[in-house]
Amino acid sequence: MTLAPAAQRAQAPSATSRRRPHRSPSRRKLAPYVFVFPFIALFLAFGVYPMLFTLQLSFTDWRGSGSAQWVGWGNYTYLLTNPAFWSSLGNSAVMWLLIVPVQIVVALLVAVLLDNAKTRMRGFYRVAFLVPFVTPLVAVAQIWVVVFDQQYGAVNSVLNALGLPDVGWLTTSMWAKPTLALLFLWKTTGFIVIILLSGLQSIDPTVYEASSIDGASRFRQLRSMTLPLVRRTLMFAVVLQTLAIFQMFAEPYVVTDGGPYGSTTTAGLYLYDHITRADLGTGAANSFLLVIVVMVLSLGFVRLLRSED
Amino acid sequence: MTSPSVTIRRRLPSVVTQVFLVVLALAFLAPVAWAVISAFKPAAQIINDPLGFDPSSATLDNFTRMFADVPIVRGFVNTAIVLALKGSLTLFFAPLAAYGFAKYDFRFKGLLFGTVLITLMLPTIVLIIPLLLEMKELGWVNTYQALVLPGAVDAFAIFWMRQVIAAVPNELLDAARVDGCTEFGIFWRIVLPVIRPALAGLAVLTVMNIYNDFVWPVVIASSDRMATLQVVLSSLAQNITGNRIGADYATVTGELLAAASIALVPLLLIFIVLQKHFINGILAGSVKG
Repeated sequence: MTLAPAAQRAQAPSATSRRRPHRSPSRRKLAPYVFVFPFIALFLAFGVYPMLFTLQLSFTDWRGSGSAQWVGWGNYTYLLTNPAFWSSLGNSAVMWLLIVPVQIVVALLVAVLLDNAKTRMRGFYRVAFLVPFVTPLVAVAQIWVVVFDQQYGAVNSVLNALGLPDVGWLTTSMWAKPTLALLFLWKTTGFIVIILLSGLQSIDPTVYEASSIDGASRFRQLRSMTLPLVRRTLMFAVVLQTLAIFQMFAEPYVVTDGGPYGSTTTAGLYLYDHITRADLGTGAANSFLLVIVVMVLSLGFVRLLRSED
Repeated sequence: MTSPSVTIRRRLPSVVTQVFLVVLALAFLAPVAWAVISAFKPAAQIINDPLGFDPSSATLDNFTRMFADVPIVRGFVNTAIVLALKGSLTLFFAPLAAYGFAKYDFRFKGLLFGTVLITLMLPTIVLIIPLLLEMKELGWVNTYQALVLPGAVDAFAIFWMRQVIAAVPNELLDAARVDGCTEFGIFWRIVLPVIRPALAGLAVLTVMNIYNDFVWPVVIASSDRMATLQVVLSSLAQNITGNRIGADYATVTGELLAAASIALVPLLLIFIVLQKHFINGILAGSVKG
């Protein structure tokens, strides 16, 4: 039991101490250390230490056993001059282009409709759109494998029924990326809808009332009022998806294994390849290059969307 | 562009909106529904007639074969163990540390919390290689420790819970102190009950993340004995893409759909029952940017 001295007890509940953290020479001083210790221990052991270790590792040549050889910037120059590295980034960039514009438009449209009290069955839609998001990625990736199979898949059956020829959804480099992009869109659009919805719901409804009186059309309202007001939320969604797309790993791993002809070897999957080949120094360097790419892109989007104000 | 006529503005939206939403919702539900229904079809029919379904030929063959062929029960058990251990670690230690950060002053607090914020922005993928090596050094490859401890108390949970706990009025905590409550007692009996809604959101999000986690388990626990549900599932899928199996395509597909259906049903049920917490959890969780 901690019994604070009377003087401190008296001052503590006063309004002025509201924001000030407590100070006391007693056990109260020790308590926070005890509280944060388990987290700090895990954080140092499995967060900070590995991070520093990666940095060191990225300057060595190490195959997972034996002694590591210091190679300086060798891994970085190897990657930066390696077409495979650039093509993995290129594949991710194409995925980004296939996913983000479509997703933002569709999600914003759905969010605006779900935000409108006149839309019926809003509860049902919210659940329906989130079903793909809560289902395990590996399971939905497998469903994709089966549904988009060239010979036996349901999608080609529909095409055939309509008199159209088969499409090699997962077996041609032309279609593999869009098919994976569709999987990602299907899986995460409900999540983006919910994020945008949270932004829309924070808009003061009187803003709309005022403009309706002024005779603004719905489209005008959307463009000139809603969009600027949810800009921060949009920016957040774009950054979030950029991070996710450049780290995308499980989708191509399960669905296409990076093929055909490396067309779906995303940056995340390429990084994983170093691990499977036990080329850990290169993998570490690749990690940091990927972090830099992702951070530059994220900051770029933040600036871009801010400067449009 | 001039504003559309009044009639269009009044009527068109409701019809177009409804059609658009219904079609989109069906498109979102269709793949899952198709997979679950197909899992009950004879394997040959799944590939010969992917769109048809004859209820009289419904069968459990895919399920029985799948249970015999892959260690999916083991996968469920492993996932359940990891869920129980990692989930309780997160739900206890994250709010506890967050309470320390939110309501106390101590040395290195700024530095520590700053580090938390930085890790929030770093892609998790950076840690995969060094963590794997660390696990090798510790002899933890293919162990529960390796599945549970890294990421058990993640920076995001701390960040979120700190925001929530900071909003708890100090008067409440001080009143408890006056009544002779210990510092931990305050956390346990005052803070936790007060932040219960956010805690429910964290719980739902944590369960979802652990259940669906794939990248770390596939790297660290790929042995048959330790594979989690998602790892077991992925090995089945690779049998198709990699053609690494002797069995015919129809059989593997049937097993795959059976496995996928079984894997997605628990989470889907949890989601439908707890959808309010789910959505609130996602909303609260997304504020991190």
